[in-house]
Amino acid sequence: MSISSVDQVEFGTELGPWKPDTSIECTSAFAEAVGWGRAARFSDHEAARAEGHAGAMVPGIMGMGFLTTLIRTWAPEAIIEEIDTVFRAPMIADEAIEVSAVVTDIDEDERLVELDLTIRNDAAETRLFGTARLRFS
Amino acid sequence: MTLDDGPPTLAGMDIEELKSRYLNLEFDRKDFRIDPQRAATVARLSGETRAECIDPDHPEFTVPHAYLASLASGRHLPIDFPKLGGLPIDGGKAVRCFKPVKPDQTLTGRTHLHDIYDKSGRSGRMIFLVSRMELHNAEGELLATSDSKMIIRERS
Repeated sequence: MSISSVDQVEFGTELGPWKPDTSIECTSAFAEAVGWGRAARFSDHEAARAEGHAGAMVPGIMGMGFLTTLIRTWAPEAIIEEIDTVFRAPMIADEAIEVSAVVTDIDEDERLVELDLTIRNDAAETRLFGTARLRFS
Repeated sequence: MTLDDGPPTLAGMDIEELKSRYLNLEFDRKDFRIDPQRAATVARLSGETRAECIDPDHPEFTVPHAYLASLASGRHLPIDFPKLGGLPIDGGKAVRCFKPVKPDQTLTGRTHLHDIYDKSGRSGRMIFLVSRMELHNAEGELLATSDSKMIIRERS
């Protein structure tokens, strides 16, 4: 369900979990779109392993992109004023992840909502976490 | 130990002196042309499906946060910053928007070190360096900031 105003937001509301497309085709195209070219660590599992990684990775900022999509799908009319992400551990391309968030604070006077953000892998290990602040009109 | 005592090592790094020498001094300035199609591609690959997010011609289209974060992927430290000698890790990114960022314009990114701090844990000491890029439009208005967090882990 999407919402359009701060008075529809309830403390503790959970967003997701949502499983985005982490295929290596997508991680590779994402890296190219942000100007990193076809970097092996995002586009080739074997080459990434040769560089010492567990496999080709999902760019950390792609995780930020998944989180903003989750938020904007829930609150299309809100503005994401700030999003802060901590890259705790690599996300591996072609491996499923779950993107979720929870409402942690509501300021109805200022029309602000704060969220805690999490991306976990299939083993329920946190790969990325953070916070976001939204402003409703 | 201070920075004047020879090549610095992570074990002897004086955080307060680093802060006094390097915080809040612009060390990099770069212009970026915001490509509408690339910005829309970033949104689409992030799972967006709505026209206002993936159609750069839509009147409400704005540059996604992840694309703004990518602009700060260049140099994160002043050119004269001491060699820290540890293992650098990309610790994360943060974006703060003050005004909507529209595509097809040139932004100027001005970067400074915003914060330096350390933490000690079971795996040893880590130094955190936060570089902040301020993104201004052609009129000089501050549209957004993009923070990059670099973690230097002390070698054991």
